[in-house]
Amino acid sequence: MDQGNTAYVLLTSALVLLMTPGLAFFYGGMVKAKSVVSMMMLSFGSLGLIGVLWVLYGYAASFASSDSATFVGIPGWFGFDTASVGLSKQVAGALANPVSGNYPEMAFVAFQATFAIITVALISGAIADRAKFGAWMVFAGIWATLVYFPVANWVFNFGSDGTGKFGGWLVQAGVHDFAGGTAVHINAGAAGLALAIVLGKRFGFSKGISQPHNVPLTLLGVALLWFGWFGFNAGSALAANGLSSIAFINTLSAPAAAMLGWIIVEKFRHGKATSIGAGSGAIAGLVAITPACDILDPSWGLLLGLIAGMLCALAIDLKFALGFDDSLDVVGIHLIGGIVGTLYIGFFGRGIGLVDSGSWKQLGLQAMGAGAVLLYSFVLALIIGFIIEKTIGFRVKAEDEIAGIDTVVHGEEAYAFGADRG
Amino acid sequence: MHTDSATAFLIICSAMVLFMTPGLAFFYGGLVRASSVVSMMMMSFGSVALVGALWVFYGYAISFGQAGTGKYFGADGIFGIDLSKLFVADVYQQAVAGEGLNLVVAGFQGTFAIITVALISGAIADRAKFGAWMVFAALWATLVYFPIAGWVFNFTTTNGAVSDGGWLVYNVGLLDFAGGTVVEVASGAAALAVALVVGRRFGFAKGMHAPHNVPLTLIGAGILWFGWFGFNAGSALAANGTATLAFVNTLAAPVGGLLAWSIYERFTIQKPTAIGAASGAIAGLVAITPACGYLSPSWSLVLGALAGVICAAAVELKWKLGFDDSLDVVGIHLVGGIVGTLFIGLVGEGVGLLQTGSGLQLGRQAIGVVVIGAYSFVLAWVIAWVIQKTMGFRVANADEIAGVDQIMHGEQAYSEVDPRWTWRP
Repeated sequence: MDQGNTAYVLLTSALVLLMTPGLAFFYGGMVKAKSVVSMMMLSFGSLGLIGVLWVLYGYAASFASSDSATFVGIPGWFGFDTASVGLSKQVAGALANPVSGNYPEMAFVAFQATFAIITVALISGAIADRAKFGAWMVFAGIWATLVYFPVANWVFNFGSDGTGKFGGWLVQAGVHDFAGGTAVHINAGAAGLALAIVLGKRFGFSKGISQPHNVPLTLLGVALLWFGWFGFNAGSALAANGLSSIAFINTLSAPAAAMLGWIIVEKFRHGKATSIGAGSGAIAGLVAITPACDILDPSWGLLLGLIAGMLCALAIDLKFALGFDDSLDVVGIHLIGGIVGTLYIGFFGRGIGLVDSGSWKQLGLQAMGAGAVLLYSFVLALIIGFIIEKTIGFRVKAEDEIAGIDTVVHGEEAYAFGADRG
Repeated sequence: MHTDSATAFLIICSAMVLFMTPGLAFFYGGLVRASSVVSMMMMSFGSVALVGALWVFYGYAISFGQAGTGKYFGADGIFGIDLSKLFVADVYQQAVAGEGLNLVVAGFQGTFAIITVALISGAIADRAKFGAWMVFAALWATLVYFPIAGWVFNFTTTNGAVSDGGWLVYNVGLLDFAGGTVVEVASGAAALAVALVVGRRFGFAKGMHAPHNVPLTLIGAGILWFGWFGFNAGSALAANGTATLAFVNTLAAPVGGLLAWSIYERFTIQKPTAIGAASGAIAGLVAITPACGYLSPSWSLVLGALAGVICAAAVELKWKLGFDDSLDVVGIHLVGGIVGTLFIGLVGEGVGLLQTGSGLQLGRQAIGVVVIGAYSFVLAWVIAWVIQKTMGFRVANADEIAGVDQIMHGEQAYSEVDPRWTWRP
């Protein structure tokens, strides 16, 4: 066992876990003061629920090896390793303190758990100010089970021994997605679009009507997300090696360029660079570099960041043009950014992109991966969201939405600076 | 050198645990009134400075003294000081010679001392003098934390078995992986004592003291959870299989606690609150602290859920019994610490009642809980009482009502507040 790599995987897992609270603050600062508790609880609720599901059966569903005798299901598509339910197999491995191998499998369980958690939490930005907490939790549990766990299997589950004997169908087909441009960002973005359509627009939905109530809270969230994203991307190498150092540098350069790209667009369109724009730009760059962080030279990473920042700054206006209330721009940033980053590999990926190889093959594969995940997630999320809306109801009552959902749904006010302030 | 990886692992884990104390300051700070958040945060930051200094000076020498070195004075395994460890001199010399692991372990343990002291401050929100708190912190650390850390954390192993060390870990056989007794039970018991000595706040009644800043509390909870991975996984003192198990359990138990507390609220007050969710996660983290190296993740889920429900019920105790443990240090840390420590005796891998059919380990765990809880409670009560009678622990009534920040620190947390933040239906 390599203690260095074990330490590395564990510590990067902790970094990624911190992203979900970070996301809660990023989203929380952008909504109204009377719905910030609800907004943050959509993230913290995911943390609780998906964490539990992951231990019970999520890992067993996402990372089943079809070579294993205890595998049930269709290899590469959907299945279960019954020996991993409740992580019993992994406990035995960890307690044996194995002398061979890179790191105990339990470390990988932790790392991937944090990915499942944040992917679900990302979706919540599309339904700010108007979702019932209970309905969201039901959605989160079903979507994770039917969409995230299988899709993680398609993309992240492959034999690390290099024999290629088992693996998810997308990764086996040759789709390159290093840290989750498809499984995390396109997946969450497409589900966000579906939910925004199911829940409908907020009252008074129009440009400029919803100002962030707490900009520093949002920037604090951006900082925690970026910090954690180093774990997300560099940690996906699962070893402290050359590849992880490339991923790390790209996780620095792409968001930096994207931040510049976004505020340049703002400057030209609206005359002023905003701090929310700078924060969103950094996130757009981080999203775009996620699938590509290992396979781009840092200069190509800079260009990808710049393109993603500019495109996403324009894409967030789509919701006003098309009339879907993707409140906190999950579609504009995660879906668009994820697609840009995933396709970009087809052009500039080292050794496999059009520029290096002169072949369109990888671009086609990337488009297939992006399209498959997008479609699957969108359709399933639409169905799950629709059924919830028709049965227990997804959206709060109109008067509660106008009054502010924090007190109605959670019985809490975010701030008490009034009467009892000394 | 072969210990490079372990050294790197522990350096980063130590930084994560140190980060927990500012995290605690934010967690506590958001829960109090806007007019006492500076005071609340300063009690944690004050602990960082004071206990950090004491740890380097003599805390490490007390906690990790080894009898038989010739410079050891005291009762072996109970209370003593190793003069060769003052100013962490011996491990510093090893580091100078090129082997830094033991120096990092000393630093890692220092961050535990700091947060344990800071935890106590939640019991005396809104009404404590800063100077009195600092005196209390120094005395409690010296007389309580440093010795009991030796009882539990100071041991040597031979072939995986404890072959020498503090009396609880060596003679009694207490299992406490990362500090359920030393950190959680000790700070919770001390908090109860201090809350009793200092007395209730004005207007102490349910619902009177709403948190002034929920997002700040959740920031604190997020940072605490992040740091807790370093706390628990780092306690393996190496990046090995046990560390990975401790890490996953540090995810599994708090998610169980978060959900359980929210569900409990759903059925008692009809609404799951954000403060409840955060408290549930902390309760799960507290409970898994002693047990994270001895449970499977499935049992950790159970423990987390159990702790979430029990602690959610326990925080109501203060209203019934009338002690003003303002931010629920007793309800979460004392109760959660007891639940986690005893749980090992029931289902711990290879030692619990469930697997061995013997209640022996449960008895050992109970001894650890009772001894440390009683020792910390009595000493904290005496120290706080003496401070109260001499320099005074509590601010003047008028100052408490006006808010302690201005009086105690000459600062206001927020100079200008956006009217949109103050929202009334």
